[in-house]
Amino acid sequence: HMQYERVGADVTMKCGSMDWDAAVTWTANGTDIDESHLNGSYLILKNVDLTQSGQYSCYEGSSWHLKYQTYLRVGTPPKEPVLMCRSNNYPKGFYCSWHLPTPTYIPNSFNISVIHGTKEMICEKDAVPKNRCHIRYLQLFSTVKYKVTLTVTNALGKNFTTLTFDEVAIVKPDPPESVVAKPVPNNPRRLEVSWQNPSSWPDPESFPLKFFLRYRPLILDQWQHVELSDGTSHTITDAYAGKEYIIQVAAKDNDIGTWSDWSVAVHATPWTEEPKHLTTEAQITETTSASTSSFMAPPTTKICDKGAMVGSGAVAVCWTAGLVVAAYSVLFI
Amino acid sequence: MAGADSPSTALRRRDLCTRGIRLVGKMRSDVIDLLDTYVERQGLDASASVAAVEGVPPAAVERWDEQTGTQRLLENLAAYRAFRALLAQMLEEQREQLGEAGAALGRALAAVLLQVSAFTYHLEELLRLESRSPPSEEGDGPPPRPPLSLFEQKLRGLGVLRELAQWALRSARDLRQLAKPSPGTGSAPGLAESP
Repeated sequence: HMQYERVGADVTMKCGSMDWDAAVTWTANGTDIDESHLNGSYLILKNVDLTQSGQYSCYEGSSWHLKYQTYLRVGTPPKEPVLMCRSNNYPKGFYCSWHLPTPTYIPNSFNISVIHGTKEMICEKDAVPKNRCHIRYLQLFSTVKYKVTLTVTNALGKNFTTLTFDEVAIVKPDPPESVVAKPVPNNPRRLEVSWQNPSSWPDPESFPLKFFLRYRPLILDQWQHVELSDGTSHTITDAYAGKEYIIQVAAKDNDIGTWSDWSVAVHATPWTEEPKHLTTEAQITETTSASTSSFMAPPTTKICDKGAMVGSGAVAVCWTAGLVVAAYSVLFI
Repeated sequence: MAGADSPSTALRRRDLCTRGIRLVGKMRSDVIDLLDTYVERQGLDASASVAAVEGVPPAAVERWDEQTGTQRLLENLAAYRAFRALLAQMLEEQREQLGEAGAALGRALAAVLLQVSAFTYHLEELLRLESRSPPSEEGDGPPPRPPLSLFEQKLRGLGVLRELAQWALRSARDLRQLAKPSPGTGSAPGLAESP
């Protein structure tokens, strides 16, 4: 026997068919309950909380015969569920997934209905995850909206939410896969980036994706962005020499829907020239002072500090470098 | 006609498809802008639901991926010929309703009508490439309908533009299907007629 009660409720349990004035003992999960909670043979639980969930048993006073047993589950009725629908495999179909904003602590059942115009469509529940179902598009290019209603019910109440949307509004591909970034030999300012269409996108030829690439050196916060209308590769040509970069790519159908989440980030550093072979003394100097410098500078000189940078992007310069260049220019006038 | 295409036919088809895709892309973008102008000028609610309008070819299609190339071309052609007549009618109605005040709307409608005509020609060319003469147009315009109230005319116009935007989406997808090279035979998939 199962009994569901709301948090904060007052609960009265009768000992089966025993009279009110019968001598009984109540236990909760095998532990005797103090007589102060009894009113005659009735058990009174005031303002119940979650910790009071458990098995309650009532025994006849002298014989210890079990007269009544129930499993009490304390919980709450469901709040309005959170529902999301998305097509990451257009034009095949879409899926909806849901969850409750706060737990109810008791079992809930979910029912989803999908209506397109006058037609009711079946949303097939996924085995994993449980709170998800998917629908195949029966029609494409329809101007009629879809209406999805999710109802959640438990022993203490029910609630629902509704989403209404166009076929194209919910299209959002998965992020691009297999993003690879490589230095370009003999090119200290280039990085070659390539990626693949997300494997969940069924027909990239008829439904091509466009891409958004963002990249920045690890030492800076500002991203550079490039939008690419075709192809699954791009060469960055304005990387700072010797700096490690972080790179991500996102995808969107060429015509409809929204951008995917960003792909997994990849890191790469542009090609740098191998240090030339020096005399033994110079080699010792180099290995002791250059290992922590991130610029390819002469071993004992650090040209630029991050704080001395002026400007941004490909034309950032630092004061010291500017002075050096200016000095050389004067020499050659 | 079954059998492999000549290389020049395949090239011409791909060229027509590429240009057609660009044309409908621009058309769709212009129709979406036109929808905003139309809704504002006609004093309509942008979220108004419009039931299927008689005479407006619906873009919605079942089993789209199973259509043959010829089916795609014929359905597109029938639709855009209908839109050509519907837009011409809208242009006339709008001139009567708004006069000079609707000049900008009129220009935008005329520009879209031009693009629809251009795309119709594109489709006719693609059909000729498949050695199929485009079907002749029936009559000179849409069949006579009972007169609509002013409000009904405006709502129908909204329905026409919305459906045209959907068709522009569908046509781009149709042309991409047509442009796909078929492995081995060299002909586009779905264009071979059944024996």
